Amino acid sequence: MGALERGCDGVSSNGSLVKLEDLRVWFPIKSGLVLDRHIGDIKAVDGVTMEIQRGETLGLVGESGCGKSTVGRAILRLYKPTGGRIEFAGQDITTLSEGELRPLRRQMQMVFQDPFASLNPRHSVGRIVGEPLRAHGLATRREAAGRVRELLQIVGLPADATSRYPHEFSGGQRQRIGLARALAVNPDFIVADEPVSALDVSIQAQIINLLERLQDEFDLTYLFIAHDLAVVRHISDRIAVMYLGMIVEVSPADELYENPLHPYTISLLSAVPIPDPEVELKRQPILLAGDLPSPANPPPACRFHTRCPYIQPTRCRDEVPELRKLAEGHTVACHWAEQIKAGEITPHEVDPVFDPGTMVPAYEPPPD
Amino acid sequence: MSIAEIESAELALESSTGGLWREAWFRLRRNPGAIVGAFFVLTFVVIAAFAPLIAPYDPTIVPTVLPETCCPGPSSAHWFGVNVIGQDTFSRVIYGARLSLVVGIVSVAVGLSVGMFLGAIAGYIGGFVDSVIMRCMDVLLAIPGLLLAIGIVALDLPFDRLYQLMIAIGVTNIPIFARLLRGSILAQRENDFVLAARSVGVKRPTILFSHILPNAMSPMIVQGTLALATAIIDVAALGFLGLGPQDPSTPEWGNMLADAQDYLSSQPLLAVFPGIAIVISVLGFNLIGDGMREALDPKLRGRA
Repeated sequence: MGALERGCDGVSSNGSLVKLEDLRVWFPIKSGLVLDRHIGDIKAVDGVTMEIQRGETLGLVGESGCGKSTVGRAILRLYKPTGGRIEFAGQDITTLSEGELRPLRRQMQMVFQDPFASLNPRHSVGRIVGEPLRAHGLATRREAAGRVRELLQIVGLPADATSRYPHEFSGGQRQRIGLARALAVNPDFIVADEPVSALDVSIQAQIINLLERLQDEFDLTYLFIAHDLAVVRHISDRIAVMYLGMIVEVSPADELYENPLHPYTISLLSAVPIPDPEVELKRQPILLAGDLPSPANPPPACRFHTRCPYIQPTRCRDEVPELRKLAEGHTVACHWAEQIKAGEITPHEVDPVFDPGTMVPAYEPPPD
Repeated sequence: MSIAEIESAELALESSTGGLWREAWFRLRRNPGAIVGAFFVLTFVVIAAFAPLIAPYDPTIVPTVLPETCCPGPSSAHWFGVNVIGQDTFSRVIYGARLSLVVGIVSVAVGLSVGMFLGAIAGYIGGFVDSVIMRCMDVLLAIPGLLLAIGIVALDLPFDRLYQLMIAIGVTNIPIFARLLRGSILAQRENDFVLAARSVGVKRPTILFSHILPNAMSPMIVQGTLALATAIIDVAALGFLGLGPQDPSTPEWGNMLADAQDYLSSQPLLAVFPGIAIVISVLGFNLIGDGMREALDPKLRGRA
């Protein structure tokens, strides 16, 4: 319930827990038999700056392949950042080694999208949920068993699930097991990477409600990654919209839905069907032309310009838009956001001008 | 009743099926092919283990009085007949099982352990180490297995010929196991549960040994069983080519086939019995291997 009641005012100003500055995560494209040759990079995340406040739920939305999962995994340092800075609870963790990170891992955890792939099929539920305790040497065998039963109860599973194996559970139950594992070490921060998109709609609601209850109970901070806009609106305090490795708009949740400013957000929201046949019939959804360009060779300047229905002859193709603050807590990376909002610029047909078909090396490594 | 309650009630009704290994065992037991294979292999192993108790004659002893005509066929005294120099074929086939089994198991164990070691290093460390190891394995794989084994035996290393056989056949198995394990480690390494273990803070060696390797083992077990079949054929082939045990009177199936070769037109039975022994033992291991492949394949789970 929390998110809706707290609304955008509920974002308490008790400081940021996670801070990203110009975060870049590039995956090298290599080829070669014995010695790998670097022939380019997939720029999964390319310059993300944002903050996650303590106690809030930040929704991160965007289409598949835009780099939202990579952001989540980079914060947990499951990927090595190519550049930029990650700060967690005031500490710079960008370059910490695996050993230095281990104590910090108790404070940040992750819930995965695929409840079938994220649990080791050969381990019993007790072993899976108890693993974080063992990894950090937090409990003796007996204490761990008790704690595991307690955790299972918290997430709504029977205590005798301990001795069972993941394949004996349904998707929703497995997701609960994943949550219990994440909660085992009493974390402050949880990256929920599309935790409900693999589940049936009825089960989605259960897991969402569970996530909200746990947030209230354990003072959790969430980074909630999703592509389902309705779910994100329900659970998030603030929402960040990502496109091709960059943040294009950040706003309080309700504000974003009522007053979207970035053309990408506008077209995303216009794609959501409205459960009212009369309104739905009159509605004019904006259909985006073309596909998501290749992150190995992203369009220059504004990355959205190849598909933007509001594209203008100036600036869009030759100037990178900065994230600008247009209202309280509402930032947007579009040169023409004010004019679009005022209705001075209207959407028009888009002819995809940028050809992502040919791959040219986007980045030449400096000779070392 | 809420959905969660119904779910947990359903859960309570199902009986616990235990781990994946146990499930695979249940599926294996329902596979008729695997049962037949297990029967053959079990017979083979029992015969090999208790050869001295089963064999009615000493397989190496040459009778002082030869039969009047060459090579009498099966009789109540000699079930499989006798060979050219009067040795009891039945006893020789039985002792041959012993040699094939020992050489087969040891050579597969050599190939499996070295191959696993190299494959695990290549798959988990990756990068340059991976490239070097795998290119070496490619070179080994480029040489046909039997040719490689012949080459190694021909080196005449300073061991007993039996050990040379084990090493030769073992080495031909190394690249197969190394590649297989590397491949499945690479596949497992990208699994979400490995990522989950990392994000939880589990140490790298623990991740390798408790998450990656156990899930990468199934294809190794299947390949190990099938490799036993191939090893038995290789032993026989090397024996047939005269690269078997140094003492030509040692009972060995390939050896026996080679001896029978000269008399094939007049005494075909001499080749039949060792041939059948090879076929049955190889078939047994192959059937079990195929059964295990099906039982351990997670995609086939639930089909019984």
